[in-house]
Amino acid sequence: MMSATTSPATAEAAPSAKRGAISICGITRIFNGSAPAVDHVNLEIHAGEFFTLLGPSGCGKTTLLRMIAGFETPDEGRIFISGKDVEDVPAHKRAVNTVFQSYALFPHLNVEQNIGFGLRMRGIKSPERKKRVDAIMELLQIGQFATRSAAQLSGGQRQRVALARALVNEPDVVLLDEPLSALDAKLRAELQIELLRMQKRLGMTFIFVTHDQHEALVMSDRIGVMSKGRLEQVGPVLDVYEKPKNVFVAEFLGLSNIWPVTPTGTNTAASPIGELTIDAPLAGATLAMIRPEKIWIYNDTAAPKDRVNLFFGTVREAIYMGASTQYRIELAGGQLVLAFDTNNQAAERSWRPGEAVAVELKPDNIMLISP
Amino acid sequence: MIPRGVRYALSGISWPLYALLYTPLALVAFYSFAPAPNQAGHSLHAYGVLLHDGAVFTALRRSLILAFGSAITSTALGTLLGYGLCRFRNANAKGVLAHIPSLIIYTPIIMPGLVFGISELIFFNFVHSATGFLGAGLQTMIIAHITFQVPYVALTVFARLAGLDPYLFDAANDLYADGIKSFIHLIVPVVQPAIIGGFLLGITLSIDDFTISFFTAGPGSVTLPIYIYSAIARKGISPEINALGTMMIGSIILLAIIHFFITRHRERAGQLTPTGKIA
Amino acid sequence: MSAGVKTEVEIEAGRQRLRLWVTSGPGLVWIMIFLLIPSAVLLGIAFFSSNDYGSPVLPLSVQSFQQVAGYSLLGWDPGNIIIFLRSLKQAGIATLVSAALSYPLVFFILSRPESVRPLLLLFIVLPSWTNQVVRTYAWMELLGPNAPVSWVAHLLHAVPPDLGLAPGSFAVTTGLAYNYLPYMIVPLYASAEKLDWTLVEAGRDLYASGARLFWHTVFPQTLPGLLSGVIFVAIPAFGDYVVPQLLGGDKALMIGSQIANQFTETPDWPYGAALTIIMLVFTGMGLVGFRILTRKLGGAEEATI
Repeated sequence: MMSATTSPATAEAAPSAKRGAISICGITRIFNGSAPAVDHVNLEIHAGEFFTLLGPSGCGKTTLLRMIAGFETPDEGRIFISGKDVEDVPAHKRAVNTVFQSYALFPHLNVEQNIGFGLRMRGIKSPERKKRVDAIMELLQIGQFATRSAAQLSGGQRQRVALARALVNEPDVVLLDEPLSALDAKLRAELQIELLRMQKRLGMTFIFVTHDQHEALVMSDRIGVMSKGRLEQVGPVLDVYEKPKNVFVAEFLGLSNIWPVTPTGTNTAASPIGELTIDAPLAGATLAMIRPEKIWIYNDTAAPKDRVNLFFGTVREAIYMGASTQYRIELAGGQLVLAFDTNNQAAERSWRPGEAVAVELKPDNIMLISP
Repeated sequence: MIPRGVRYALSGISWPLYALLYTPLALVAFYSFAPAPNQAGHSLHAYGVLLHDGAVFTALRRSLILAFGSAITSTALGTLLGYGLCRFRNANAKGVLAHIPSLIIYTPIIMPGLVFGISELIFFNFVHSATGFLGAGLQTMIIAHITFQVPYVALTVFARLAGLDPYLFDAANDLYADGIKSFIHLIVPVVQPAIIGGFLLGITLSIDDFTISFFTAGPGSVTLPIYIYSAIARKGISPEINALGTMMIGSIILLAIIHFFITRHRERAGQLTPTGKIA
Repeated sequence: MSAGVKTEVEIEAGRQRLRLWVTSGPGLVWIMIFLLIPSAVLLGIAFFSSNDYGSPVLPLSVQSFQQVAGYSLLGWDPGNIIIFLRSLKQAGIATLVSAALSYPLVFFILSRPESVRPLLLLFIVLPSWTNQVVRTYAWMELLGPNAPVSWVAHLLHAVPPDLGLAPGSFAVTTGLAYNYLPYMIVPLYASAEKLDWTLVEAGRDLYASGARLFWHTVFPQTLPGLLSGVIFVAIPAFGDYVVPQLLGGDKALMIGSQIANQFTETPDWPYGAALTIIMLVFTGMGLVGFRILTRKLGGAEEATI
């Protein structure tokens, strides 16, 4: 499995021919004269990775997925699956299988027959087919439902059948279109882990589409964040979260504090909360961002001396969330800062509204982002 | 929900109404057991006469050929029609042109049987005098029957298909089924109850029809309803007609009840979803 | 890259159109050839003159329409007007009777447990699956001169002796109502099944009861089904052929028999075609009128025509 470091693939380099690698080059899809649903997207997905397309409704992630599957044809651009251009390859000939949001289980077939459908279409005969279907049913623990019809299963069971139906064909790539969105929270959490384990075990490339950032964080090797048809940022989960490129990514994937900045020196910039010392090239910088959990909070009297980016203020709001507390702190200039603190100390270390505190923004935690 | 007093009133009116619905039919059966000539008491004499009447059997045979022949053809045409309109019609098509298929499909349904029959009469008459083909007879009757059955089949199939999860087509494609295979392995099995329902509906419509058959029939193509009508016109009421009528009523009732219980049994066995029920 | 991909989309759209024609084409073309064209021919014939054999010949004329209105060589005869009015009346009464009988039946079924309802519905619809001729014949027997019913009517001085209730107006109306009752019940039941009973409870809460409660809370909700039923009964009943022929005899001639005669007994095709056009006009007006009524009364659009 390829590691999460930078891949040198550019638009000119040949698409990776590894089984399950996907190259998406300049893909555009426009519906009926409105704004493009997918707008010149370039993306490399590595063989065997768990890749998530994340974005709000209508951002184009499902359309992109459908183009990989072959249900839609791009208006511009090429898609390469396992190194081959699939422009002339219809959906039923691609080595790609999809798990649909509504599961789309065939109502006239039972579980066994549903799972074996793809094998049957490819002409694989009964004994071999039964062996493979039984194996995947055992893997997903649905063997006891073999003869039931879809209508007789619960949501979680249907999801597993849909997954089995896709996996049993051992495709190069598995596409999952928000498969967990119809399930309740607990079941969802369980299945997230299970899907992840399944993917690691089988080694197939998984492309997972969701609008739920927590889901994306939990499951993915790499994430691609999409908005309004454009791919905003791609990279390993950690990188995208810690170093978002722009406001959209910063705000979609977790909470953030964002302020406009004007560079005043090599390492310093002016901001509404005061002068910031930032550990990055400041040429042309316009916005600074820091994640709430990266902010250190001290009692104002106990604040360390000789630190940069130390600001004083009063707690306006403290929301207890069990493992952590979310604070809204009003600084001297009237600006509000969002900060998290883990509740890992005794009660004296947590602050209540009205208390005076100091916050420290360590320079290497401040990110410069585009609008 | 409904207060008890009202319920009793409803029962009081309804049961007699049910009885009233079946009284005429029961009467036909009753009179069919009329005494044989010069004898007293009920008998099966009329049935005996009936069973020896060759003309009746010929008429029956023609009715069945007509019903099955037209139903098979109309089921084929209607299924494709319903399927095509559901699957391939551009949902965004606007303007008059887009409504034409609907208009065409509904015309046979809303057209009064008389107008239907007379139109066919005239049409076949012209065609026959111009080309010598399609002389009035079983051919013309089958054509007319197909014409009025196709819309019903198409609508039944369309309704069943339209109620399906649209992603099922994508799922089949995704699982290596091309257009033809999708049709055979997804569409046909799922739509099968509607196809069968449409077929049965076609047969029922055919057997039930008189007016259209009457106007498209020729001298040699007497079907059962036409036979009965002519007999009434000639002789008026007679035990043989009653016997024939009783047998027709009896078979329909029997078939309907059997079909009902088969459908219910299959539903209970979980094989049909509720939308698989016909009528 | 771009130009090639755009054509690909067009090719796919073309393929879809082809598939549409291949599947739907045969059925639609069939109906066009074997119904739409013949109907057009029928309507066209109305504008021809007729020769001695009743066949349509040139020159074109509206003579047949004049015949419809009652004008002929012998002057003006209100016969056709009477036939039209009688047809309207009989179809109208049959519709009213069907509606009146349908309401108790429908609510009776709804008052029964759900498992029994399909069976009860089946038994109402069942008689309509027997052949029209047999059904109508049954009424001939039931209302004929020798039947007990006629004997009772005779006692009540409703009919002269030796004549039955059939053939006659009453028989025709009864026959029509009997034949078309299922066509009223099915849509009415469909409407009533979806009834929102909380409205009834609201009505009760606001002190309505009995007939007023029904009228204000239940009846309006059944209107869509009722109106569909009215259309499904009145229109076919108006143009029915079998019932007036067998149960009407010469005394209760309806428009259906009159039209049919022009193509069988006493051929006069243009005249018959003109009668048909007028009949269709009436039917069309009725249909449009009811659709407007449905919308005005706020009924949901159930029909998909």
